[in-house]
Amino acid sequence: MLRFSSLVRFVLTVLPIAVGLLWLNPSLVMASDGQEHVPGALRLEMPAGKKECVKPTEWMRRNHMDFLKHNRDMAVREGVRVTSDSLKNCTTCHTSREKFCDRCHTYAGVAPNCFECHHYPK
Amino acid sequence: MTMATIERRAVLGLGGALAAGVTLAPGITLLAAPAERTEASAGRRWAMLIDSTQCTNSCTACTTACRKENNVPLFGEPSRDVHWIRKVELRDKDQRRPSVQVPVLCNHCENPPCVHVCPTEASFIRKDGIVLVDMHRCIGCRYCIIACPYKARSLVYHETRRTDESNPNVPIRSKGVVEKCTFCVHRLDDGQEPACVEACKKEGKGAMLFGDLNDPRSEIAKRVHTVATKTIRPDLGLKPRVYYQGL
Repeated sequence: MLRFSSLVRFVLTVLPIAVGLLWLNPSLVMASDGQEHVPGALRLEMPAGKKECVKPTEWMRRNHMDFLKHNRDMAVREGVRVTSDSLKNCTTCHTSREKFCDRCHTYAGVAPNCFECHHYPK
Repeated sequence: MTMATIERRAVLGLGGALAAGVTLAPGITLLAAPAERTEASAGRRWAMLIDSTQCTNSCTACTTACRKENNVPLFGEPSRDVHWIRKVELRDKDQRRPSVQVPVLCNHCENPPCVHVCPTEASFIRKDGIVLVDMHRCIGCRYCIIACPYKARSLVYHETRRTDESNPNVPIRSKGVVEKCTFCVHRLDDGQEPACVEACKKEGKGAMLFGDLNDPRSEIAKRVHTVATKTIRPDLGLKPRVYYQGL
């Protein structure tokens, strides 16, 4: 039999942890508001004269690495080169690598090495 | 050619033109426009024919053009310099024939030993028969360098840097990967000839010919079938796709 006091103790232990985790989770914080006032959310500058990426921003933020990697393998191994989906096409709008790729990657603490070899047009 | 065949061809052509533009729904097309998307075709067999009688000893147009087009690095150390194409002097062992200088590059073999030994499947044969290295997968083990009888592959021993003269369309290579001739695959997919062939036509005597062996109307298919050609070390059974004329 579960005693009432142990139930209360359990709730009192779990509740602060759950609240703490929710507070720490940036995606939930962003989802609740999504505005630039939220501390911790990184806002990138929009390219001049553009409103939308080739895919929705949320989708791109989560999936661009797999998307680019898949396209990379298709281009190298199958010769499938799709102009609109290429990394080169990204650079037609996002003209500054420092403001686009690097800023977010530094924030997220990842270091992809695409541009050790590939050219980012200035 | 009879009228019937002409009509049939015309109809087929019309069908193709229609299919290219068929739109199933707004934004969804049956086939992508050719300029937007390219893909290696299994029906093609890219090959090169080098006429050694037209290749002059002093000319280095092909090697220079290759280096410039593909950002092939020179480290200033002869044992570690990277070469995709190089001029090689071929001598007759019995000295019955004069020696000739011909360009030697990756032969893009049908049975490439480099691909068979690659432990990471970084070296592979593309659908159209071009042997390539996926630099993203290469671990630099150099098995392929040892396996290749043509010495067509080089390891990038040092860091390379992009300069103002570098070709922006071709990536440079990171330290520790193996690289080799790609038949200028980026140019082929763009509908152009390899840089060495173009340079040979412009600056040299047009000793190099490039094309699709599977297309019977192509110049190279006609020449390979009519002129006596040789490949280097045919005894190895690798079936190279770089043919030499006049050796």
